[in-house]
Amino acid sequence: MFRRLKWIGVLGMMLLPALMICAEQRFPPPDFESGYSLPSPSTPPTRCLWLQYADAGVFLAALAVAVWLIYKKRSRRGLFWLSLFSLAYFGFYRKGCLCPIGSPQNVVYGLFNPDYAVPVTALIFCFAPIAVTLFAGRAFCAGVCPQGALQDLVLVKPVAVPLWLEEALGVVPFIFLGAGLVCAGTGTGFVICRYDPLVPFFRLSGGTFILTAGAAFLLAGMFVGRPYCRFLCPYGGLLRLASLASKWRVRVTPDVCTQCRLCEQSCPFGAMREPAPAESNPASPAPERKRLAWLLALLPLLIIAGAWAGSKLSPAAAQLDPGVALAERYARQQSHPARYGLMTPEALSLDRAAANPGAVLASAADMRHRFDLACWLFGGWIGLVIGVKLIALSVRSGRTDYEPDRGACVACARCFTACPNERVRLGLAPAGGESAPS
Amino acid sequence: MNTSPVYRAFALTAWIAGVFCLLVCGVMIYEHFAAATRDPWTSPRLLALREKLAAEPKNAALQKQIRQLDLEFRRKFRQRLALDKTGGWLLLGGALALVLAAGQAAALKKPPPLPQPQTGVRELAVKRASRARWSLAAVGFAAAGSLLIVRLGHTSVLPANPAAWQKLSAKAPEAPVEDAPALSEFQANWPRFRGWDGSGASAPASKAVSGILWRAAIPLPGNNSPIVWGDHVFISGGTAARREVYGYNASSGALLWQRAIENVPGSPPKVPEVPEDTGYAAPTMATDGRRVYVLFANGDLGALDFGGSIAWTRYLGPLNNPYGCATSLAIWGNNLLVQLDQGGSRPAGSKLILLQGASGRVLWERPRPVPASWATPIVVEAAGKTQIITLANPWVISYALADGNELWRAQLLENEIVPSPVLAGGLVVLLSPSARLLALRPDGAGDVTRTHLAWTSAENVPDIASPVSNGELVFTVTSSGMTTCFQTRDGKKIWEKELETDVQASPGIMDGRLFILGEHGPLVTLQAGREFREMGRIPLPDKFVASPAFAGGHVFLRGMTNLYCLGPAASGLAQQP
Amino acid sequence: MNAKPPADAPVTRRQFLRDGARLMTMTGLGVAAGALAARSTSGAWVWQTDPAKCLHCGNCATQCVLEQSAVKCVHAYAVCGYCQLCTGFFTPEPGDLTTAAENQLCPSGAIKRTYVEDPYYQYSIDEELCIGCAKCVEGCNRFGNGSLFLQIRHDRCLHCNECAIARTCPGQAFRRVPVEHPYLLKTTSR
Repeated sequence: MFRRLKWIGVLGMMLLPALMICAEQRFPPPDFESGYSLPSPSTPPTRCLWLQYADAGVFLAALAVAVWLIYKKRSRRGLFWLSLFSLAYFGFYRKGCLCPIGSPQNVVYGLFNPDYAVPVTALIFCFAPIAVTLFAGRAFCAGVCPQGALQDLVLVKPVAVPLWLEEALGVVPFIFLGAGLVCAGTGTGFVICRYDPLVPFFRLSGGTFILTAGAAFLLAGMFVGRPYCRFLCPYGGLLRLASLASKWRVRVTPDVCTQCRLCEQSCPFGAMREPAPAESNPASPAPERKRLAWLLALLPLLIIAGAWAGSKLSPAAAQLDPGVALAERYARQQSHPARYGLMTPEALSLDRAAANPGAVLASAADMRHRFDLACWLFGGWIGLVIGVKLIALSVRSGRTDYEPDRGACVACARCFTACPNERVRLGLAPAGGESAPS
Repeated sequence: MNTSPVYRAFALTAWIAGVFCLLVCGVMIYEHFAAATRDPWTSPRLLALREKLAAEPKNAALQKQIRQLDLEFRRKFRQRLALDKTGGWLLLGGALALVLAAGQAAALKKPPPLPQPQTGVRELAVKRASRARWSLAAVGFAAAGSLLIVRLGHTSVLPANPAAWQKLSAKAPEAPVEDAPALSEFQANWPRFRGWDGSGASAPASKAVSGILWRAAIPLPGNNSPIVWGDHVFISGGTAARREVYGYNASSGALLWQRAIENVPGSPPKVPEVPEDTGYAAPTMATDGRRVYVLFANGDLGALDFGGSIAWTRYLGPLNNPYGCATSLAIWGNNLLVQLDQGGSRPAGSKLILLQGASGRVLWERPRPVPASWATPIVVEAAGKTQIITLANPWVISYALADGNELWRAQLLENEIVPSPVLAGGLVVLLSPSARLLALRPDGAGDVTRTHLAWTSAENVPDIASPVSNGELVFTVTSSGMTTCFQTRDGKKIWEKELETDVQASPGIMDGRLFILGEHGPLVTLQAGREFREMGRIPLPDKFVASPAFAGGHVFLRGMTNLYCLGPAASGLAQQP
Repeated sequence: MNAKPPADAPVTRRQFLRDGARLMTMTGLGVAAGALAARSTSGAWVWQTDPAKCLHCGNCATQCVLEQSAVKCVHAYAVCGYCQLCTGFFTPEPGDLTTAAENQLCPSGAIKRTYVEDPYYQYSIDEELCIGCAKCVEGCNRFGNGSLFLQIRHDRCLHCNECAIARTCPGQAFRRVPVEHPYLLKTTSR
């Protein structure tokens, strides 16, 4: 009856004695008589550790040089060359990784996952720019960030972005920041790194989607100044907030502002703010004050509404985590079994789940719990951001001169060379009103 | 200004760089899409050729074609990698040239800045701020809306409260407990392959079997043995197209019902190929007196009530068994045991599953470290526990019925495991086909290979038929008909006799008589005692590979297309071939 | 105001708030940095794949951000059986035990088969040709000793903060390992 033999059967019969001898390995280790010696697998080493410290050193040095160039030398040209150096070193040489934009994720991941120790270099990359910004404004963005340098390089003909669009898109970096920190804190993944559109250019390779997105950003960047920095970069959002509290600020010129608006035209990022007009009619502030009062009262409501909406997101967001996704697939398998081919990864991972469902479900439950909390915070954060932005649009400032907005100014020093008074001060133009070509 | 030579130079450079970038981009994109058909490991052309080669392995022209195509693809793959690398750098250089030149050209073309003083600044500021506030509100609503969409799109199967999840993995609440039939009912019937305990021995009968009482046609072929409960005989048959269960009346042989097992959830409509010698209906059915259970070689498991209505079905496949699944079902109380050993010479997902008979719910499932085998497990009370004894190459493994944990195992088997074990005289008697007859003490724990072997014999060892015992003596039959009697206690051979008939079916004992079913008939009756004595031969006109079933003094046999019932001549039809 | 206020001007409310915010932020940063640095190891983390969890799905070849994946097949010679019919080298049911293209599993021909002594053959991986598709790993683990396994090669890996293969691995075999021990080599069959 059992007469048909495939090669598997033949093989099995041939090697059965071996099976009997060695329960651990299917085929026992051979006894070599010819003096053959076993090679061992090669283990090419990683990059030297001191080189990583050298990177951090170069980073701090570049930050210091940027601050010096903006405040002491006040040189646009110097800053330009520094940004090119940063593009070459941190961009094309280090392939854009480890970068400050993604490092807050490492910090948050380290805070909430005790088995991950944040490397010292990551700490330096994360905190140094924030510390510098708290004192000197967004010097990092102008001189040290390779993504920023790339965008500055491709800028050909800047076009002004209307305020309503800028404000609307300005919420996106904070959403991205919140989402990134949620995913990092729960240990799901680093979405900020995943969706960085410009790093694939540094690597000269990447997936189709992200390369297309990156190309789109660079194409847009030819006409809109720094679209990634203004409308997507989550670290830029952080630095924007830090810059509001900075000790020193970028000033177009310490001399008198003649309201000539040349600096406003020269800023490709729309960061220059005009002087606030005087209060002409004492009676008119009332509607504005009332609006401000309403918005202030609305703020806590927005936060609560945001938190509530965010909490609804939790079951869907948790599925980003592969452990929760496996638990979902396992649960779905119990009620609606799907057919997976023999030995496919889906079947094998389900087999592993079925071997120990308690552990899989327990860890997924823990992850869902984390996501519940994180999504509450995320929703509340978005509500806070929108509420504060609304309030900021209703508050009047007491500016008398044209000066860059603290948060939006990336300290690129273009306005220094545009202001005639500054040009005179720097010695680029003779005093007395004649402006010679640069 | 527009026509200054410097500006024209920059503009021209920008245009050339732009076209260059587009060209390089275009070439790289084209290569990227063309690569999909030319990847050496996913190319459909190459895969199709390899499939053709699998059908005709010695076709030299096909081999040459594959080699050439493979070489071409591998070369193209390397070329594409190199192209992408250089292309990337070229693109970078071109883009750099483009933006620098375009930047310079734009700077030259820029009119000198002549900003005018602003009028109506206040109204402008107010309007702009108001518009910005509304756009922020719109963003807020858009965020809420997209959140809603995400929420609706990604529903979670798991319950909302994570604390409730543990219930998913914990055992579901017990289904209402059915009263299982008493042990005496099991012993009086033939509820599974080789009887209620798999020993091949049946309850005593009053009169000797002498001739065929009735013969009934079985519509579809199969190698499974009949099972008997009360006045019912159940058998299954199947082909690649259709698989059915049949219920007959045990007294008259009338076909009471036939039911197809089809559209089992998860079971693919196209069944895998199974060698013809085995067929799709090799595993024998089982019954617990409430329902009958059937397993087909494509992995369909079904439960039907005695009236033929389907109670539940389940798909256990796909089954990876070189000769096709032939391990029969085992039953204990109202639980069903399925042993699914898979793999050619290496284990490939072999497992032992205990299911609740009433619902088909899996009570426990254990992986097994063995490849495919074709013997049926037995469930016995031994050494104070209810043990499941399973055979495979090379392990005999005993599991506790309650939770499926391993009790003991012994590495004693070799070759293709077909004969099933029996419990005889407190020992587990089993065959290592064509090699040894072994007896193990079932009271061990862990690996008992060296410690619990009671005795072993190498005389006349069969390769297909399982042994049978009346407790004191063990009988084996080889495929050529050599029958041997051993003493259960110590394995001493008592007698042996060549029956001169090929035998595939396992022997059985009823009422002190040993029944041996020849492949082309006859049914030989010997005395199941210390002396060889032939008590009768009933010639049969059919070919038999399935083992006989004994119940109520009758013997039920399955031929190629017919079901036979043999019994005492006086109680029915005259004996006729 | 572009001009700096004179040094002895009274502190405005805005200035005060700003200084306060700056102080609090710096303190917070300092505390966080200190807490994390105290726990920090000297070195960094690198990604590596655990061969015990690998499901040989083939993602390693396609998901790496590099065009030629940094994951390559590695051979644990101590575990290898040196079989004449290597199930990691040959397709199932090879026509002949030769190195002809139709008999080989590896799509890029990266496994080199050399005769050692009867009946043993050595199988070694040419890393330049290996694409990390795990076909040989699957064959070796299913039917052989499991001496072939995948590893991230750190001279090729970019050490991204988030490994693109790690997040699509169905067996969740990728994890961070300290840079001092960047490899998870197989030393036994299972």
